[in-house]
Amino acid sequence: MADTTSNVVGARFVDPKVLARIGSLELLARTVVDGFINGLHKAPYLGVSVNFAEHRGYMPGDDIRFIDWRVFARTDRFYVKQFEADTNANFSVIFDISRSMSFGSKGISKLDYGRYLAACLTYFCTKQRDRVGLVTFDEDIVTRVPPSAKHLDVILHELDRIEAGRPGSLAGPLFKATEFFKRRGVIVVISDFYHEPSQVLDALKPLRYAGNDVIVFHVLDPAEVDFPYDAASSFEDLETGRKIPVVPEKLREQYRQLVQEHITALTQQCSENRIDYALFNTATPLDHALFKFLAMRHKMTKSR
Amino acid sequence: MSFLSPLFFLGLVTLAVPVIIHMIQRERKEVIEFPSLMFIRKVPFRSFRRQRIRNWFLLILRCLAVALLLAAFARPFFRVPALAAIAGGAREVVVLLDRSYSMGYGDRWDRAKSAALAAIDDLGPEDVATTIVFDSGAAAGPRSTTDRVSLSAFLRDAELGSGTTRYGPALKLAEGVFESSDLPRLEAVLVSDFQRSGVESATGVRFPAGTILTPIPIADSQTENVSVVGVLFDREYFSGRERVSVTARLTNRGDDAVASLPVTLEIDGRELERLTADVPARGSATVTFSPVTMDDRPVAGAVRTREDNLATDDVFYFVASPGQVVNVLVVGNERDATEDALYVSRALAIGTSPAFAVETVGLDALSVESMTGRHVVVLNDTRPPMGPEAAALEQFVREGGGLLVVSGERSAWAAGGPDLLPGVVGSPVDRTGRGGSLGFVDYSHPVFELFSAPRSGDVRSARFFRYRPLEPVDSAVVLARFDDGNPALVERRIGEGRVLFWASTLDNFWNDLALKPVYLPFLHRVVEHLAEYAPPTPWFSAGQVLDLSEQRGLLAGAGLTEADLIAISPSGEQVPVSQGARSGFLTVAEQGFYEIRDARGGATFSLAVNVDLSESDLTTVDPDELAASLTGRLAAQPTEGGAAGVGREFSPTDLERRQDAWWYLLVGAFGLFVAETVVSNRLSRTVVQVD
Repeated sequence: MADTTSNVVGARFVDPKVLARIGSLELLARTVVDGFINGLHKAPYLGVSVNFAEHRGYMPGDDIRFIDWRVFARTDRFYVKQFEADTNANFSVIFDISRSMSFGSKGISKLDYGRYLAACLTYFCTKQRDRVGLVTFDEDIVTRVPPSAKHLDVILHELDRIEAGRPGSLAGPLFKATEFFKRRGVIVVISDFYHEPSQVLDALKPLRYAGNDVIVFHVLDPAEVDFPYDAASSFEDLETGRKIPVVPEKLREQYRQLVQEHITALTQQCSENRIDYALFNTATPLDHALFKFLAMRHKMTKSR
Repeated sequence: MSFLSPLFFLGLVTLAVPVIIHMIQRERKEVIEFPSLMFIRKVPFRSFRRQRIRNWFLLILRCLAVALLLAAFARPFFRVPALAAIAGGAREVVVLLDRSYSMGYGDRWDRAKSAALAAIDDLGPEDVATTIVFDSGAAAGPRSTTDRVSLSAFLRDAELGSGTTRYGPALKLAEGVFESSDLPRLEAVLVSDFQRSGVESATGVRFPAGTILTPIPIADSQTENVSVVGVLFDREYFSGRERVSVTARLTNRGDDAVASLPVTLEIDGRELERLTADVPARGSATVTFSPVTMDDRPVAGAVRTREDNLATDDVFYFVASPGQVVNVLVVGNERDATEDALYVSRALAIGTSPAFAVETVGLDALSVESMTGRHVVVLNDTRPPMGPEAAALEQFVREGGGLLVVSGERSAWAAGGPDLLPGVVGSPVDRTGRGGSLGFVDYSHPVFELFSAPRSGDVRSARFFRYRPLEPVDSAVVLARFDDGNPALVERRIGEGRVLFWASTLDNFWNDLALKPVYLPFLHRVVEHLAEYAPPTPWFSAGQVLDLSEQRGLLAGAGLTEADLIAISPSGEQVPVSQGARSGFLTVAEQGFYEIRDARGGATFSLAVNVDLSESDLTTVDPDELAASLTGRLAAQPTEGGAAGVGREFSPTDLERRQDAWWYLLVGAFGLFVAETVVSNRLSRTVVQVD
């Protein structure tokens, strides 16, 4: 997945295949991305400053009102003026790097999967001129990259070096993170959410109530969903270290049911609080998951 | 509850093995790291618990089955004192009657039978009894029966034997009766004169715990007994006739000296001579009768003294055979045969049993006729015979004759001679200096057996200066070797006969053996061995089993070598001897003369049988001593209603055998195993359906 030949730090997270798949959906993607970003902008960010940011070449379809005629006069080429006002939405990823995220039954861990997700989303948002930021946490805030249009490299570097270490918590770190976001923006929370749904929502609500658009990416490993173990074994909690002897075949059905109940509860309660929820199985290809989410997001945006 | 083999419970340790393995395996199971046990912990606990209980149930079922199996092997039994009451207190009585010939002293035998019959009469209505009569052996009558008539009849019909007292066989028989008995009270009644000589055989016999032994001693307080304990023959030749002087030895085991005791010698049933003897108290005396001229057949004789209270040992029977003569033909060099054979002939001229009749001839005088009637031919330092003489010599050996080949200067065995030597003879070997000596000697061989005991003569003391080496053939046996490994005396069997090769001379030219004391017995043994001489046995002991094939001399003397034999005992009873005298065995149980005759009539000969004189020693032992060794307690006193009854103490083995609890445990274990199979099958089926 990673491009080890790239010289760009963190470039391995931007999987060319993933981007190619999404790129092939250009028409939809543009609509989705524009609608996604613009839709986010619509209500909360009207009247924000319109400082000039940069020029770019005119592309068919660009609004001719934004052509900089002065530059045309000097260069005889069409350039479109880009204004910060169009692209300065904040996009932040709050990434759970607690020890439970290091679990991976089929090669890729949840942490890696979350890394790719965060990298992809950040890249896209950067492409849309959004300011991107990153907060990682376990039982406390670990790293924080404030939202900025120029922080893609920093974020990718940060994503590259993070490691899952300590046990995790949700309410405390998220509450602290709320303080970081002075401006409203889009906040993506990536975690495995091993907490009661009510606790999860209690942790997310401050972000939501601060005016942010909160998107929850629930990352789970297939083994966490299907519980495919056979032999009676001792199961050790990655975070607490506690061991429990388990006969999987006698436990599987009830476990699956509990997990599904948990997901259902999260979905329902997130929906009730206007928080977007998406479950990502690490066995699902990353582009599928992104596409699925963007499509869903688009529908929701249109419905607004 | 007790257990006969509690050590089997050590096997219970094996029950822990699967559990321990299970636990160890659980501990050693691979630990699976899981992000969170949040949901696993939420699974209701009862589902685990129910599963565990089900497994534990199976485990317990299996453990119980194995435990029952082990308990069955441990052979449990209950100590129930009421068991005796259930059996109703009946007695198992064994009446043992001593019929050794010492019981013939005075009226002992009648008193003993009366006492034994009285013991039978004392039996209760539920008592069962066994009768055993014994001397050196034991014979049981009706076993464990309430039929008193048959019990009494067996005792009344019992007759005095000729054997010695041996308690062992009879007590072992009684022990067997007790061990197979289910009755609560075990009693033995021993009617005997309690001779000390018979007690030793009872070592190791132990009656079951609680058995009561009631001894009924028949012995007299004062005894007197003079017995004839043996005879000796002194042979001499007078005017070409053999005369035998019989010397009898008398022993007085009483406390009073006996004076002028008449002693008579009988030959063929006729009294020949009567002498008197004075025998001191607890001493012995000998009486020598005048010589009796023998003819060419064995004579049956007896030495009698005055009958006393124990008449059996007052007579001693014997069969005096005429002295046997071994005919030896010494073949020497044509010129110096007599001179060369000087040492040999002089040595063989000495001796009466057997006597050696030696004739010396030169090789040129050797003929078929000269070998006729010979037992042994000695080729003394001479060439081998050639031609018809050689064939005759080979024939002589094959038909059972003995050949002694003595080496010497002229004994080169040229090619073309008869194939009789036990190997290939080489040229003489000289030993310089002090010469050689015998190195290896086979003392187990009849020739050298005489010298095996210490101070019996040292055959290795002789020095050998010259001898002929011999390469033995495979069938040859080397009986002695020189100290350099060369064979000295080699034996080879040819047909029915034997050939002995002596590698040196039998005079004092090549060695000094002829000058040593061992020379004469050595030469006698060599010739006796070649002649297969076996001295006749003048008498046998009662109870002995005879192999008649070993009595070749007697049989041949009576012309019964190939006959079917019948033995007639002193009491007139005919005892058939198995077909063919050579394979016949005969048990001589009675004192007197056994007459062996051809079944088709004709020739007969006699065997003398005397009682074992150890029985003549009437010294008694304290009955309590015997009872204590048998039962672990003192003897019970005879009572009117039988021996004092005490509840029998069943041994754990008896209790276990009677209860057979192991059988039920085994069935239980089997049932549990079946239940375990059914339950585990159902459980596994349920699990499959659920999955």
